[in-house]
Amino acid sequence: MTGPARTPRTQRLAEGLIRRACRRLPGEAGDERYREWAAELPAILSDPDIGSGLRRSARALGYATGVFRCARRLGRLGGRPRPQASLPARPGFPVRRVVVGVASYAAVVAIFLALAAARPGRPVLLPVLPAAAAFVAFCLIDLARAGRVRYLPKWGWVIVCLIQIPLGGIMYLAAGKVPPARTEPPAQP
Amino acid sequence: MCRLHDVKLTGPLERVLRVFLADPSARHYGYDLMKAARLPSGTLYPMLARLHDQGLVTSEWEPPPDDAAGRPPRKYYQLTSDGLRVVRLELARASGGAPRAAHAPARPVPGSAP
Repeated sequence: MTGPARTPRTQRLAEGLIRRACRRLPGEAGDERYREWAAELPAILSDPDIGSGLRRSARALGYATGVFRCARRLGRLGGRPRPQASLPARPGFPVRRVVVGVASYAAVVAIFLALAAARPGRPVLLPVLPAAAAFVAFCLIDLARAGRVRYLPKWGWVIVCLIQIPLGGIMYLAAGKVPPARTEPPAQP
Repeated sequence: MCRLHDVKLTGPLERVLRVFLADPSARHYGYDLMKAARLPSGTLYPMLARLHDQGLVTSEWEPPPDDAAGRPPRKYYQLTSDGLRVVRLELARASGGAPRAAHAPARPVPGSAP
């Protein structure tokens, strides 16, 4: 059963989420949607069909997160371009791609370490060597065929790819490689 | 002329329409519909917004409650008379024996829209 303290806190949290979601909508529509959605929270939090207070709280928070998706779709339905969408993409250093690349590499390494620990004495890394060689070859061929690369000269990326065998190639593919030009049609008004 | 154009009659939409059709004169608030149609909020409200834009559903705010229970006023949705007609037609077509063009939903001819 729900304690007297939890309900208001959950409601405040859910209201905060809804308020943030409504900021995606233009001023007046956002205000109205906020009033509509926040008014549903008491109904959820006192829903007699949901057994426990904990589940009611979870339902209310799920409702509030669903509203995020909803605000995004409503923004699209309204046909307004989002402010970021009209700006040309800034060529910043792709931190996220590098982090994702390095993190997936770390995950693979962790799997191999676990395999090596589980089967001591067995050559776990041996089958990986051809794959590593193929990966380096792929990166070097890609470098050779690329028109231009970012952040480092081509020979710099070659050295990086060769010195640090999987990570250098990952860094090149994530950061140094110029993404293929996308031919986007001009935005229709 | 008003119809369900540009909207495929998907399962979730059909469930919502059936809830409305169960009692066409009833007013529903969002959570009520979510429960009855078993839909998450992120699916239901965009759907309601589309139906509203097409004139099939109206919405109105309930007057502030007098009992001062502290509950904020709710927004209620209800089928319009147009909506009732269109929804009955669409659902009958969906459940009827007639082969419904599921892959080629009826679209208005450009320029003939109301």
